[in-house]
Amino acid sequence: MRIKTEELTRKFRVGSSEITAVNRVNLEINEATFIAIVGPSGSGKSTLLNLIGLNDQPTYGRVFIDETDASLISGRRRREIRLLRIGFVFQTFNLLPTLTVLENVELPLSLAGKSQEEQREKAMTLLENVSLGDRIYHRPKELSIGEMQRVAIARALANDPETIIADEPTGELDSKTAKETIDLLFDINRKRKTTVIVATHDEKIVEVADTTYTIIDGKLGLNTN
Amino acid sequence: MCLRNLFRRRTRTFLCILAIALATMSIVAIGATTSRYICIIKEMHIYFRGKVVVVSKGAIVIEAFPIGGFGSLPQSMAEKVQKIDEVENAVPMLFIYNIGGTLEAFPKNFTIGIPYGNWQVLVGPTPLKLGGHWPSAGSSENEVVVGSSLADQHNLTAGTKITVNGYNLKVTGVLDTSSAFLSRSIITSLDLVQEMYGYHMLINMIVAEPMKGVEGEELANKIEAEIENIEALTEEERIDLAQPLISDIETWVLGIRTLLFILSMIFVTTVAMMNISERRRDFATLDAIGAPKSFVFKMVITETGLMGLLGSIAGILLGSVAAILVASLYTGIPISLFFLSIFDITPPLLMLEILVSTVTVSCIAGVIPSIAAARMNITEALRAEY
Repeated sequence: MRIKTEELTRKFRVGSSEITAVNRVNLEINEATFIAIVGPSGSGKSTLLNLIGLNDQPTYGRVFIDETDASLISGRRRREIRLLRIGFVFQTFNLLPTLTVLENVELPLSLAGKSQEEQREKAMTLLENVSLGDRIYHRPKELSIGEMQRVAIARALANDPETIIADEPTGELDSKTAKETIDLLFDINRKRKTTVIVATHDEKIVEVADTTYTIIDGKLGLNTN
Repeated sequence: MCLRNLFRRRTRTFLCILAIALATMSIVAIGATTSRYICIIKEMHIYFRGKVVVVSKGAIVIEAFPIGGFGSLPQSMAEKVQKIDEVENAVPMLFIYNIGGTLEAFPKNFTIGIPYGNWQVLVGPTPLKLGGHWPSAGSSENEVVVGSSLADQHNLTAGTKITVNGYNLKVTGVLDTSSAFLSRSIITSLDLVQEMYGYHMLINMIVAEPMKGVEGEELANKIEAEIENIEALTEEERIDLAQPLISDIETWVLGIRTLLFILSMIFVTTVAMMNISERRRDFATLDAIGAPKSFVFKMVITETGLMGLLGSIAGILLGSVAAILVASLYTGIPISLFFLSIFDITPPLLMLEILVSTVTVSCIAGVIPSIAAARMNITEALRAEY
């Protein structure tokens, strides 16, 4: 999945003033690359990821998914892309609290119309891959923070997406579990050839990324360090 | 998933279900009580079919029966009616509507006096239970036949001695009927009822059967033309007399039911709106992972529908019990006897109707919250949690 942006801009109105969260961003992300986007809090990282991940619509500019202009895609098709081709990992994991670990991972499979058996088999495999095979009937609140993040990653991988978008995935983790998460994302990128786009403050992610961009006040620049 | 979402906020869900249950309970209790009385009134349509009922002018009549103790007629009036050419047969009757106390609106039982041998004018083909017989004129005892509900309540069988209004009576038979009216009746000879209730040579209704080929209306007109200060009511007129009462009751019940449904709807909508505002991140997550809007919409509707379902089941159970309590309070029949015939008090069709209505109303109440949840701005919802 190739992602390209052209003059991508997102403005928000806060009270009477207007904030440009993402300002004329031109970006090209090739298949199977590991991209890190770094920048201080409020610099526009999450907004950029939401635009790339088709969660949000730009004020100006365009996002291309495999040469297709996303602004021309229907809302239904955008959802299908989010469901089948993009996996999201959130800083606060965003697991559904009333579902078990297994059900959380089964959910995208169920939404994709997979049979009950397929859902169960796939979710079990993914959870075993992230070393949570023995925690499948636990609720999110019964897990450690590191375990929750691994469940979130397993959920993001459920429909074998071509791209994983992770918004500060190590932001809530201690250094040990942060390293495990980074290793997991790196493995996914290298073994599955999945594009990984990470917004982060974490230097360790920057170290493993193929390309790092810096975003400050909505303006993106290639990090050459 | 929906059920778990609901029980994530136990207290609020419980209170919402309780409110629906209370509203449903009121609807069931009012509906069951009124429908039972409407049913009794309508059931009275079957009595004296094709015949003309003569009562005193100004008497309050429900269907064929004069109530309230007003408007008695001299017994000799029956002979006058009998003498009219178009009359095949005229049977005088004394109908006593026994209320338990001065403040009670509904009768505990009915006592009906009929001349010996004319019982079928009232009961038609209704048989007596095995071993019973109708009171006989030659008996030295005060013989009566009682309805099955009274017999069950007081454990009466043929041969049992009872005391009514200070008179010692002997039960000679039990009517084998499920009719709400006949099952609460004491039927005996006209002269005995006159004596027991102080109506010496008085009656309060005459049932006149027209000659073959004579229409009821024609006979009624003839009777009214020949005898003063009476009303001769045809079958249609008797039904018409009860109709405004039935319509009033039905209108009030409908009004109360609508009001309770609206209140339930407001309550469910409020609780559902509170729930979705607290679950913004969940909905945003569902949106981000590609869940269709219809999935979120259905989820919220199902949750409100479930609240309605649980509330209505609880309400129907409570309402049925409340209806029994009301019926028992008004009739003096022990609650235990009503439990055996719970589906007579709250008919299954009424239960089903209320269940379906409540679930439908709850689902409708979930429409606005469902739309709000499905239309939630994903980026704002995700950002708000960070």
